[in-house]
Amino acid sequence: MIIEIGHFAVIVALVLSVLGIVASVMGLRTRDGDWIRMGRIAITLIFGLLALGMASLVYAFLTRDFSVYYVATTSNSTLPLFYTIAAVWGGHEGSLLLWVFLLSAFSTLAVWLHWRTQPAIMPYLIGVECLIMLGFLCLIVFLSSPFERLIPAPPDGKDLNPLLQDPAMVMHPPMLYMGYVGFSIPFSFAMAALLSGRLGEEWIKVTQRWTVFAWLCLTTGILLGGYWAYYELGWGGYWGWDPVENASFMPWLVGTAFLHSVMVQEKRKMFKVWNLFLIILTFSLSLIGTFLVRSGILTSVHTFATDPGRGLYILLFVATVIGIAFGALMLRANQLKSPIVLDSMISREAIFLFNNLFFLVAAATVFLGTLYPLMIETWYGAKVTVGPPYYNAVFMPIALGLIFLMGVGPYIPWRKASMASLKKSFLVPGLAGIVTVLVLVILGIRSIYALTGAFVVGFSAAAIFLDFGKVSALYARREHLTYLKGFLKAFASNPRRYSGLVTHLGVLVLVIGIIASTIYQTEKVVSLRVGDEFYLDKYRVKLVDIHEVEGHNWVAKEGVFHVFLGNERIAELRPQKRVYTASQTPTTESAIYAINMGHIFLTMPEVSPDGVAVARGVINPLILWVWGGGGIMGLGVLLNIFRPRKHEEG
Amino acid sequence: MSRSTQVIITGILLALLVLFYQGLWGDPKHIPTVLIGTSAPEFQGPDVESGELISLSQFHGKVIVLNFWASWCQECKTEHENLLRLHARFRNHPDFVMLGVNYQDEPEAARTYLRLYGSSFRHVRDIKGTVAIDYGVYGVPETFVIDREGIIRYKWVGPLVGEIFTHFTQQVLLPLLNSRQSTPT
Repeated sequence: MIIEIGHFAVIVALVLSVLGIVASVMGLRTRDGDWIRMGRIAITLIFGLLALGMASLVYAFLTRDFSVYYVATTSNSTLPLFYTIAAVWGGHEGSLLLWVFLLSAFSTLAVWLHWRTQPAIMPYLIGVECLIMLGFLCLIVFLSSPFERLIPAPPDGKDLNPLLQDPAMVMHPPMLYMGYVGFSIPFSFAMAALLSGRLGEEWIKVTQRWTVFAWLCLTTGILLGGYWAYYELGWGGYWGWDPVENASFMPWLVGTAFLHSVMVQEKRKMFKVWNLFLIILTFSLSLIGTFLVRSGILTSVHTFATDPGRGLYILLFVATVIGIAFGALMLRANQLKSPIVLDSMISREAIFLFNNLFFLVAAATVFLGTLYPLMIETWYGAKVTVGPPYYNAVFMPIALGLIFLMGVGPYIPWRKASMASLKKSFLVPGLAGIVTVLVLVILGIRSIYALTGAFVVGFSAAAIFLDFGKVSALYARREHLTYLKGFLKAFASNPRRYSGLVTHLGVLVLVIGIIASTIYQTEKVVSLRVGDEFYLDKYRVKLVDIHEVEGHNWVAKEGVFHVFLGNERIAELRPQKRVYTASQTPTTESAIYAINMGHIFLTMPEVSPDGVAVARGVINPLILWVWGGGGIMGLGVLLNIFRPRKHEEG
Repeated sequence: MSRSTQVIITGILLALLVLFYQGLWGDPKHIPTVLIGTSAPEFQGPDVESGELISLSQFHGKVIVLNFWASWCQECKTEHENLLRLHARFRNHPDFVMLGVNYQDEPEAARTYLRLYGSSFRHVRDIKGTVAIDYGVYGVPETFVIDREGIIRYKWVGPLVGEIFTHFTQQVLLPLLNSRQSTPT
C-alpha cells in the first residue's frame, strides 16, 4: 500500500511539473504575479511529493517487500541495513528517482532563496526546472518505474551487486547527481538571461555559490568513485578512463572552465557569450553523461541493462533540452557584442582564456576517446577500445599546462602586465620550481613527466605560499598582530580569493599524489603456496595461511600474509576472495597497509583447489596525497561557499 | 556569434544525435566473431626481447595460441600466470606454439613487464597496431587459437582465468593438438 502511495505521489508530481511549465509561460505572458506564485507552489509540492516517493521506496526496502520488483532485483534479506538504504539508488529506476528528487530539492531551494531578489528570473527558473523534471518524471512513470509490483512475490530478492556494497559507493551516486543537478541552477539562470535578454553580469553573481557548490559535489562524487574503484575493484588504481568515469569527468572539466571564466565577466565585463556557452555546455554534458550511462550504449565496467526504448526516450529528451539551449544562445548571441579584445596577451584575462582553452581541449580529448569506439562500431561495424595510453599521452601535457597556469594566473595583473612586475612575481616561484627539479634529480628521479610535474608543482606552490606569506606579513606589520592572526585577517579581507588558493593548494597535493602513485607504482604478481614468500620492492611478503571465513552475506577464502621490512614484521594483511551467497558473485577484496603516505596493497585474485594462491602486490607511493588533496580542495570550496556575504552580491 | 560558428555547433549537435541514435540499436556486449573459420592474417614484427623478426608463417603446420597483451592492461596480469602454466604444460608437444602480441605499448615497458611477470615464450611487437586491426582485436587481453591449416578456430576476449581457462585447455586446445596430424606439406 505504501509503495502505491509513493507511486501516486510521483504521478501527481509529473502533473504538477506540467502545471509549473504552464504557470511559468502564463506568468511571462500576463505579467501576473499569481501565475508565478502558482509556479512556486507547484515546484515546492513536487519536492514534497518526490520526497514522499523516495520515502515509500526506502520503506519498501527496509520492510524487505519483495513484491516490489525493484526491491526484489536490487536487495536481499541478508543485505545489511546500511546497504539496504543505499540499494534505493543501486539500480537504474531508483537512481533516476534520486536524480529528479535532488533536482526538485535544489530548484525549490533556489526559488525560495532568490524569490525576493530576483523576481524577473523566477518564471524562467520555474519553467526550465519543471521542463527538466517533466522529462525525467515521464521516464520514471512510463518507462522505468521503481514502483512496479511483482506478483506473486519471490521468497527472497536477488541482492545488490556486491561491488556496490561499499561505503564510498553509497555516497558516490548522490554526490555525482548533486553535482549534475546543481549545475541546472546556473543553467536555468543563464537560460533566463538569454530568453529575457537581461544579459548583464547579474546571473553570474547570483549563481556563483550554486556553481561552486555543484562543482564541490561533482568533485567529491568523482573522487569517491575513484576511492571506491581503488578499494573495491582490486586492481590497485583509482582511475581507469572508463567511459562511465569519463561521463562524469567531462562536465567537471567544462564546469571548472566556467567557474574560472565567470570572474573575467564580473571584473572586466568580457566573455559574455562565452560564459553562457560554457554553462550550457556543462549542463548539456551532465545530461549527455546521464544518457550515456543510463542508455548503456557504451561498454564499461559498470554493467547496466540495455534497453533501446528507454535510451531513445532519454536521447530525445536530452536532445530537446540541449537543442533549445543552444538555439536560444545562437539567436541571442548576435545581440551580445562583447568581442574579446585583450589589451595584452600577458594579462590575467589572457591567462583565463588559456585556462578555458586548455580545459575545453581536455574535455574534447576525453569526449573523443569516449565516443570513438561508438563511432567506429556504428560506421564500420568493428569493435575497438581506447585505452589509458591514449588518455595519458594526450591528457598529461594539458594537465601540466593547467597547473602551470594555476601558478601564473592569480599573480598577473588584469589588463596588462609589465616585464618588471612579472619578474617580481615569478622570480622566486621559477627558482623554487628549478630547485624542486634539482632535488628530485639528485634523489635519482629521471622520469621526464615526474620532473616536468615537479617543476610546475614547485612553481605554483611557491607562488601560492609566497602570496600567503606576503599578505600575512603585511597585515601583521600594519596592525601589530602575530603572523598567524595576520594570516587570518588577510584571509578575511578577501575570502573569495584565498579560499580559491586553498583549493589550488589541494589540487597541487592531489597532483603530487597522482604523479607519484602512477609513475612510481611497483607491482608484482606471483603464485605461491602457504609458507612461500616474495619480495615487493624492499618488503618481504610471506603467505602464512589460507582459510575460510564467513560474513553476513558472503563466504570467502582469506589469505594471511605477513609483511617484513628487514627482519621486522610490520604488518599482517588479509586479502579475501569472496563469494556473495545470494548472487554467487565472486569479488576480490584488497588488504591495505598504509606506510609513508603510501600503500602496500595486496589482493588474492585466485586460489586453486590444490592450494596455490595467486597474489598481487602493489606499492602505491603517496596515494594518501590523492585523497588528502581532495580534502583540501573541498575545504577551500567550503570556505568559499560560507564566506560572509558582502556587497559583492547583486 | 558568426554564421559559421552557428553552422559548426549545429552540425556537431546533429552528428552526435545521429551517432547516439544509431548506437542505441547496437549491443555493447556483442563482439563480432566473423574471423572464426577464416585464414589467420599473416604478420611480421620484431621480438619484444631480442628484436629478431618473427612472422606467423614460420609456424605454419602447428597449432598456435596467439595472445594479445599490453603492459598497461590490468586484466592481462590476472591471466599471465595461467599463460605461463599453459605454455609449461604443452611446450614439449611438437606441434604447439605460443606467441604473444604486444599491443599499443612502449618497448621498454613491455620488456619490464616480461621481466617482472616472467616469460617462457616469444612475443611480437605490433609496432603500428596493424596486427591488432587485422585480427579485429577488441581490447586486450584477447586470445586466438589457429589450427595446423592456419585457420582461426577460437577467440576469447578477456582474461583466461577460472572456468574459461579450463574450458580453453580441455575443450579447445587439447582436441586440436590431438587431432590427426596434417600431412606434411
